[in-house]
Amino acid sequence: MKKIITLIGFALLMSSCSNDGDTKNITISFENKIAGDRINLGTGNYQNTSNESYSIDELKYIISNIQLVKENGEVFTYPQDNSYFLINESEPESQIIVLNNVPAQDFQTLKFGIGIDQTNYPLNGVDNFVPTAEENQMLWSWSAGYIFFKIEGDFSIENESHQDNFLFHIGSHGTNLDNYKTVELSATQFDLDLTRKDLIAIETDISKLFNAVHDIRINDKSDIQVDPVNAPKIAENASQMFSLKPTHSTN
Amino acid sequence: MKLSLLIFCLYFCLACNSDEDTYVPISEDKALDFPQPDFFPQPVYDLDENPPTEKGFELGKKLFYDGRLSSTGVISCGFCHIQEFSFTHHTHEVSHGVNGALGTRNAQPLVNLAYFNEFSWDGAAPHLDAFSIIPITTDVEMNETVTNVLNKLESDEEYIDLFSIAFENGKVNTQNMFRALSQFMVMMVSADTKYDKVLEGNAVFTEAEAAGKALFDSKCSGCHEGILFTDQSYRNNGLPIDPRYNDIGRKRVTGLETDKYKFKVPSLRNIAVSLPYMHDGRFKTLKEVLDFYDSGVQLTENLDSVFQQSNSIGISLSETEKEQLIAFLNTLTDDNFLLDRRFSEF
Repeated sequence: MKKIITLIGFALLMSSCSNDGDTKNITISFENKIAGDRINLGTGNYQNTSNESYSIDELKYIISNIQLVKENGEVFTYPQDNSYFLINESEPESQIIVLNNVPAQDFQTLKFGIGIDQTNYPLNGVDNFVPTAEENQMLWSWSAGYIFFKIEGDFSIENESHQDNFLFHIGSHGTNLDNYKTVELSATQFDLDLTRKDLIAIETDISKLFNAVHDIRINDKSDIQVDPVNAPKIAENASQMFSLKPTHSTN
Repeated sequence: MKLSLLIFCLYFCLACNSDEDTYVPISEDKALDFPQPDFFPQPVYDLDENPPTEKGFELGKKLFYDGRLSSTGVISCGFCHIQEFSFTHHTHEVSHGVNGALGTRNAQPLVNLAYFNEFSWDGAAPHLDAFSIIPITTDVEMNETVTNVLNKLESDEEYIDLFSIAFENGKVNTQNMFRALSQFMVMMVSADTKYDKVLEGNAVFTEAEAAGKALFDSKCSGCHEGILFTDQSYRNNGLPIDPRYNDIGRKRVTGLETDKYKFKVPSLRNIAVSLPYMHDGRFKTLKEVLDFYDSGVQLTENLDSVFQQSNSIGISLSETEKEQLIAFLNTLTDDNFLLDRRFSEF
């Protein structure tokens, strides 16, 4: 009898600790694309709507504060101090992020931030993201702040072969200007139904950086760093780049 | 039978609740009382979020005086922030970093930091816990990475022990490192000067000091406001632009043309010992500073309006007035703070 109780106990113990009944580990993948194809760092040549051609040498951004919202409005917030991720186009493994112990439920909306939420900085463990950001050159050391979004490459204007460098480094400007943006993606069909699947696939249309809300002509200003006029426009465009990609159910 | 169920239940609870962290008795660390002076405003720093404790303070102090925070292993925070001079780099115009590298700005005093909302001459750090990133990673200062610093700390038993006692999660990580440094720095409260004693009714100004105070109230306190002697704003005080640095000031942080050449109005507590003066340490004496305000202010971009209120720009001062002002400024030195053993390296 004792043996049976112990056995049941162990079984209960295992199941309750390993998946807490109805949570699971899920994966979110980010695919950076232009015109439907994965971008090619260095070699790909692209056109923006201002008839400029450009190539991309470096593309990085910070994803943060991930939340999942159910149809009834119930919100699951992924633990904040673990909710900072750096997506680096040159490192495929960085484009797949794993969230542990997410409720295996049917969600309607995925919310996340691009960059670091100013009200949180540097509290609630945000400081612990410093080493990752630092290794990826996503810190402005002189301003004690994070670079939220970074793209660098070459460009040439219409009908000219001469190429120049461009670089956009977008972050908040002290407490003066908050360039943190939030993204909300709504499910069509089962994209966020975690009872059926454990992969959320996100496509990022990098071309929208130049025209989603504001038209950005690189030649107007090819070096945008702490720029109170242009940085917010690029941040806003960047917040429009993301969409959910339909994936197949895993069970 | 009942017993085995009970044991099972107990085991069950324990297994799920305790993380891999080992249990540390709380009694090993004690909370420190924050020395809030009666006549000071409430601290800006959230002491509930990061309450100073004995071990946190000790850890912060150890970090502050540890050269391993730099790439060469010899430049500590305390190298440029020397206590006797109100934690400034005495007689050095601009800070000196690794391998003799020169910075572009004068090391600022570390006094009453709990009451400040932004840090660095241009407000580049919006929170004290974020400030240390700047000197640690700047190439002409400590020229190190936070990752390397953490690696060094993680291989040191003393640090591992201190982190494990000082913080609930016991981890050697960036947040705990910066919080420990903040605990050490927020305790640096200086409010025991002759000025404060006069305020409390325990001392009396000399005639010259009293005259200086009256002058100060009418000519200086607009910016060097209140008990902290700063309104914490950013202003261009009309210093001639030094072409060696061409320092654009707060514009570097905000990108705004209207912030060009603006720097944080510094507190004047312990001003007599925190020479040299201005963001680039260009003036060696208070007399030079007052001579500048009297006759050296230049009409550069964004010159603050307080310097443009009369026919000539600047703040006109007679020689006697300058002497009286200096007499008053000398009452802002807090010897007990400058010699307080709690903050000293040895």
